[in-house]
Amino acid sequence: MRVLVIIPAYNEEHALPALLGELRALPNLDAQVTPVVIDDGSTDATAKVAEEHGARVLRMCKNLGIGGAVQSGIRLAFREGFDFAAQIDGDGQHPPGELAKLMGAAGDADLVVGYRDKGPTTLLRRIGSWWLRVVLRVTTGVKCNDPTSGFRLYGPRALALFDSEYPYDYPEPEALAIARARGLRVNEVLVTMRERQGGQSSIAGFAAAYYVFKVTIAVALAYVRARLKPRD
Amino acid sequence: MQQVVENYWMFGAVCLVIALVLLRLLFRERITLQGSMSYLAFLVFLGLMAAFPNVTQKISMKLGFTLMSNFFFCAAIAALAVLHLRALVTLSKVHTRSIVLTQELAILQEKLERLERQQAQPLRAAQGN
Ligand SMILES: Nc1nc2c(ncn2[C@@H]2O[C@H](COP(=O)(O)OP(=O)(O)O)[C@@H](O)[C@H]2O)c(=O)[nH]1
Ligand SMILES: [Mg+2]
Repeated sequence: MRVLVIIPAYNEEHALPALLGELRALPNLDAQVTPVVIDDGSTDATAKVAEEHGARVLRMCKNLGIGGAVQSGIRLAFREGFDFAAQIDGDGQHPPGELAKLMGAAGDADLVVGYRDKGPTTLLRRIGSWWLRVVLRVTTGVKCNDPTSGFRLYGPRALALFDSEYPYDYPEPEALAIARARGLRVNEVLVTMRERQGGQSSIAGFAAAYYVFKVTIAVALAYVRARLKPRD
Repeated sequence: MQQVVENYWMFGAVCLVIALVLLRLLFRERITLQGSMSYLAFLVFLGLMAAFPNVTQKISMKLGFTLMSNFFFCAAIAALAVLHLRALVTLSKVHTRSIVLTQELAILQEKLERLERQQAQPLRAAQGN
């Protein structure tokens, strides 16, 4: 069984060596793991470092954002006939050892999302997260503890679907809506995640409130669009 | 109530100025003719409305406007909305296309580099002998 591990990375030269090292040394996974780092127009040595540590590297000539970056990895996996693709953050917050848990849930799901026990810390974020769960539940029927989690496993059907259509605006929750609208089975498993080593989250403060507003519309739209599109 | 027939040459003049700016952009190749055709058409149409206020007045009254200027505003806003939405459609298409092209380029580049490395390896081995 071949698994392509898609690692979106924007200026992650410091986090990648340890992450790729861990991936190489995965013990309890009976699969051939191929890491591919998606260098999304980094300004540091992300691509070079990734290559030196044995990863394949897709270099985006301009910054596409997480959606376009992840989709390029999915396209690669789909074309080269990988059985599964995993998505894990390049900042090292997703322990590769937890991949086994996602794989364990892949039997009866096309898309597996890893969520963590501990929710967001600030009140604003917690409200936003709750609202997002409700929106997804009501509009799409997906039950998901953390729709924004980027720790994922894509089965063959998800690879085929997302090769042709993948959202670019708020990819994580939208992808769930699309998957659900197209009749894919979505599942989630509890995983442990690490605290961020440094830097800042891409979403913070009042931007988070506006984010939630936009995501609400985007998720509903993604679902309706995917439902309206003729299936093949 | 008596309708006042005003001259709307100012409105026509504004249309003319915009048309001139548009032409300038065209000549300098800042915009393509195909993309700006609809813009020119709308300007000509609005300009004609201003040039022949009597006809416009009749139409505007038929449509239930008591003030002709309101009809002008309405027509101009509608025209601009259509133009802007069309521009948005074009922009979105171009954006999506550029994402796909960037992805394809990256995938091909990686493949090419891998093939080149594979070819170079046996060569190096032969040179080493
Ligand atoms: N492809 C891509 N990845 C990005 C971009 N910005 C951040 N990332 C990556 O996305 C992952 C998650 O980013 P992060 O800011 O930690 O988000 P959070 O963990 O959800 O708070 C990391 O691996 C980043 O390297 C971007 O513009 N493009
Ligand atoms: Mg992170």
